[in-house]
Amino acid sequence: MGVFILGVGYCGSFPTSSGLSYRELIARAAAMAYQDAGISAEQVDGAVSVEEDFVSGYSIADEYSPDQICMVRKPIYTVPGDFLQGIGSAAMQIRTGRFRTVAVESYSKASNILTKDELLHFAYDPIFNRFGVTPHYLAGIEMQSFLGATSFTAFDVAEYSSKSRSSALSNPLAPYASCVDAADVLRARQVASPVTELMIARPADAAIVVVLGSDEAARACARKPIRVSGIGWASGNSVIERRDHRISAGTAVAADMAYEEAAVRNPEEEADVAYVSDIYAHRALMHMEALGLSQDMLPRINPDGGAQANGDQFEATSGARLFDAVRQLRGEAGAHQVKGACRAIVQGWRGVPTDTCAVAVLEQERS
Amino acid sequence: MNNNRVAVIGAGMTKFVRRASETPGELTSYAVQMALEDAGLTIDDIDCVCLGTAPDAFDGIHMKAENLVAGAGARHKPYMRHYVGGGTGVMSPIHGWMHVASGKFRTCLVIAEEKMSPCNPHPAGAFLTIFDHTTEQALELTLIHIFSIEMCRFMHVYGYSEEEIAQVSVLCKKNALDHPAAQIAQKITVKDVMNSPVLSWPVKRLDISPTSDAAAAIVLANEQVARAHCKAPVFIEGVGYRLDTAYWCTRDLAFPNYVAMAARDAYEMAGITRPAEQIDIWEPYDPFDYKALHHMNALLLDKSGRRTRELLASGAFERDGSHPMCPSGGALGVGNPIAATGLMKIAELYFQLSGQAGARQVKKNALRGVAQAWGDLMQVGTVVVMSSEGGMPRTTRWSRMKAQDLAGTALKSVEDVPNVKDEPDLRYAWDNGMALTTYLDGFKKGVIRGSKCPKCGRMMIPVRCFCELCNLHAVNDVYDLPDTGTVQTYTISRINWDSSPLPEGKVNIFAVIAIDGAAPEMGLVHKLGEVSQKEVKIGMRVKAVWKPEDKRAGDVLDIKYFKPVSGKEGLDAKPRQVKPAELDSISAKPYKGRIPMKYIYTAGEGGSRFWKDVAKGKLSGTWCKACDAVHVPPAAFCECSMTALDVEKDARALDPRSGRIASFTIVTEDRSGHMLDDPQVVVQVEFEGATGSVFGRLEAGSNDSIEVGMPVELVKTPKDAGPGQVAFKLLPPNARK
Repeated sequence: MGVFILGVGYCGSFPTSSGLSYRELIARAAAMAYQDAGISAEQVDGAVSVEEDFVSGYSIADEYSPDQICMVRKPIYTVPGDFLQGIGSAAMQIRTGRFRTVAVESYSKASNILTKDELLHFAYDPIFNRFGVTPHYLAGIEMQSFLGATSFTAFDVAEYSSKSRSSALSNPLAPYASCVDAADVLRARQVASPVTELMIARPADAAIVVVLGSDEAARACARKPIRVSGIGWASGNSVIERRDHRISAGTAVAADMAYEEAAVRNPEEEADVAYVSDIYAHRALMHMEALGLSQDMLPRINPDGGAQANGDQFEATSGARLFDAVRQLRGEAGAHQVKGACRAIVQGWRGVPTDTCAVAVLEQERS
Repeated sequence: MNNNRVAVIGAGMTKFVRRASETPGELTSYAVQMALEDAGLTIDDIDCVCLGTAPDAFDGIHMKAENLVAGAGARHKPYMRHYVGGGTGVMSPIHGWMHVASGKFRTCLVIAEEKMSPCNPHPAGAFLTIFDHTTEQALELTLIHIFSIEMCRFMHVYGYSEEEIAQVSVLCKKNALDHPAAQIAQKITVKDVMNSPVLSWPVKRLDISPTSDAAAAIVLANEQVARAHCKAPVFIEGVGYRLDTAYWCTRDLAFPNYVAMAARDAYEMAGITRPAEQIDIWEPYDPFDYKALHHMNALLLDKSGRRTRELLASGAFERDGSHPMCPSGGALGVGNPIAATGLMKIAELYFQLSGQAGARQVKKNALRGVAQAWGDLMQVGTVVVMSSEGGMPRTTRWSRMKAQDLAGTALKSVEDVPNVKDEPDLRYAWDNGMALTTYLDGFKKGVIRGSKCPKCGRMMIPVRCFCELCNLHAVNDVYDLPDTGTVQTYTISRINWDSSPLPEGKVNIFAVIAIDGAAPEMGLVHKLGEVSQKEVKIGMRVKAVWKPEDKRAGDVLDIKYFKPVSGKEGLDAKPRQVKPAELDSISAKPYKGRIPMKYIYTAGEGGSRFWKDVAKGKLSGTWCKACDAVHVPPAAFCECSMTALDVEKDARALDPRSGRIASFTIVTEDRSGHMLDDPQVVVQVEFEGATGSVFGRLEAGSNDSIEVGMPVELVKTPKDAGPGQVAFKLLPPNARK
């Protein structure tokens, strides 16, 4: 059974969004997604919310998920994971044959968290890995290992970051788009060497809602359905002492799964555009390697500017990439449209200290 | 319709204990190993893993599922967590069912874990922050309060006495005497329940399940794999899950419609039209004794509640009765490590329906059972119907299982074993947005505000700018409502939000109050004052008592409490529409709050060995026979083969002077993002003969000269050191020789 993206809605991203509560932020994205899908909320069979307790500031975040997406008393649960994992979960629901349409929602109100580093520090294993220093330390360890094992240099990482930020000046939704060059990135304050401040995505507020549907639903209502032809997710080792920090094993396993499902044999040749998680700039290059994409693909990586330009939206980060991928495949991406984009690869990562990743292959539906 | 049938083919669990010595990962790995063994599979046979665990605030680890990857056997596998608060345990097999029924995977390992004991001063404190931060948290509510509020309403509507409800606690604790994992199995009487201390009337100590640490796991497989590996697979025939609105004060608290809807979904899928006749075993969620009855009304699809009353009165819920309920012993008897409890109930159906329940085996020939869980703000229902093809009771490992066969070490205090303490500084400032700014501005002006949906006509409290029931239709009309209302239900509490007792003789009375002028029964939760415990009753008319105007801050505490008023006061008052212009330039400061918990983490088997060694200036790894590798740091299980390791017997001494820097970083900020006085170096160090590494700080020296490959020595730490004190020092370049 085929699974399609029927509609997308996105509200963001903003460095701050004090005029909107999280409910209002999400409700806007939801109303937009339902309209885009050509259906009303009451026609949606169920939903998956993608969020984490301490990011929302609630002890049980999922309590607050149904109202603003109009899913009260419907089948809905939370996947505390990457947004693409939520897409994977919803796709499985549709493939059971018991659901025709499922909405997937995620949001970030990063600006409401006053102690973000403390929160991230709290994600580390309390027995072995909380050192009382910046939680970005693992990114420093990773980048050091990655550069030591590949031909990439710190300049390459800096150049990735600067190009992402400056090219995103053509994307009106990217609040951190700016004129910077690689030298600026390398000169920026070191947070956890060799990672500098300009290699780390700044936090941002946003909400994303995607409506998935079966082939039948796609035929019945969607304006421009996009096929989810493959999806995979996987986790690297959670014991960071026994994880290979030179690679992203989670991405590699997830990519194998997605590529097999989508019958992708040569991703670089077969994908027109790709999105990778770049919460840290070195991770973009590491993820490309795990996805089987060479540096030749760089001009077609994260045309929206990625998280470097759009911000780190926690669980919603890969949702923002998926939103742009859908617009690309529909030919509606505006000034940063990749010409002739028919197939996209979208990858997400949960950030340190994890190596949990997900990969989706999206395609234009051929008429 | 996809017809992939999904079966449970194995189960495992740890003991349920108040405080476990093991880490969450260790508990999880033991349940997984047991489930795999029971199913006759290895971790290599598992295609994917899904994990259910409830609030991160219990275990005290942000994104805690990520920390559990290794223990769950999910390394380099598709792995996903799902979550619906207290309903997570029964959501777990539903999510697992999706994995297999979709055709994407053949086998799925389903795990549920909860370790509540790290949370201090009491796990109940984690529930303070389940309430809406802006409109409810300031009242310092906890979960027992809203359970009590719901129980009061349930008793009022269905006419149950406290003694009748107490029979459920007696039944469950008795049934649990036969459960090997049970934490608080005991023979008690209704009188014992009635005489136990009142925590928040009508809830007493013995009405409640305990807080617990445990993990449970099951193996799911498609029909082909199930028939190849299992003599008596138990199939998942129906699933249902529904989540109601977060505005819990607007809901019918006497009957859980969301559970009934979830049950209907599951029954429809399983072809059940008359649940009372077609279901043999019932495992409703029973965190409180009244909840089992509350849920049975929904599972029986009987809003009148008559059938449940008849079954309770006739003894039909006994294990040898016509409708055995909680034959496992339930949360009240076995224990309540939230998510693991629900999966324990699923495991119980597997044991019962495959004839492996031993002393707990129900008398009737059971072919079909239902398990249910519930949670969040009294708003989620998760339901699974399972069935077997019949089979006589048989002798298996599970039918003979004793407590000593299960992993899990109970502690009197988490400080009895090596441990690490932490108090995260988690602070927030939540934006109110348009709707709540309008609502809070009303409080400042001494009025309660609602907004009216032009589609459904409901006058809603708190104000929203969209209608959650009408396709998110815009709601623009705001009204000032009367500050009077009617008590819908209440509780008389003797405890604080963190479960500590209130001063002797002091009580707090919390009530759900339907506000006049709002949609019927739509209201808010607040305190009552100027009323004695004996006078308070459902249906009582009340009015807000406001702080003086100059003391109001624009929050819910601007109402000091609601006091009783004579019957007619406020009834004639009409809502006044607020002109949009009055709202144009108002602003409300973000509401500030924090997660107020402290944590004490037991080091577990691996951690204890590590800290013991390091305090002596030593280092050891743990040898895994399956991998023929020595894991460092020491580990109680191997995440590659998912086999148990013995950190003592399998210990292999490593030379603490044989370290080599594998990677390093120079950090300039502390855990909160503040600049450090001096940069520090964090190193990843590998040791000769070991798989893995140790992370720690490099002792002060020249940061510029550090290179990968440099030899280092692990430094002896103080006895009670935590990870921040693991340190290395550089050795001369030729030290290795």
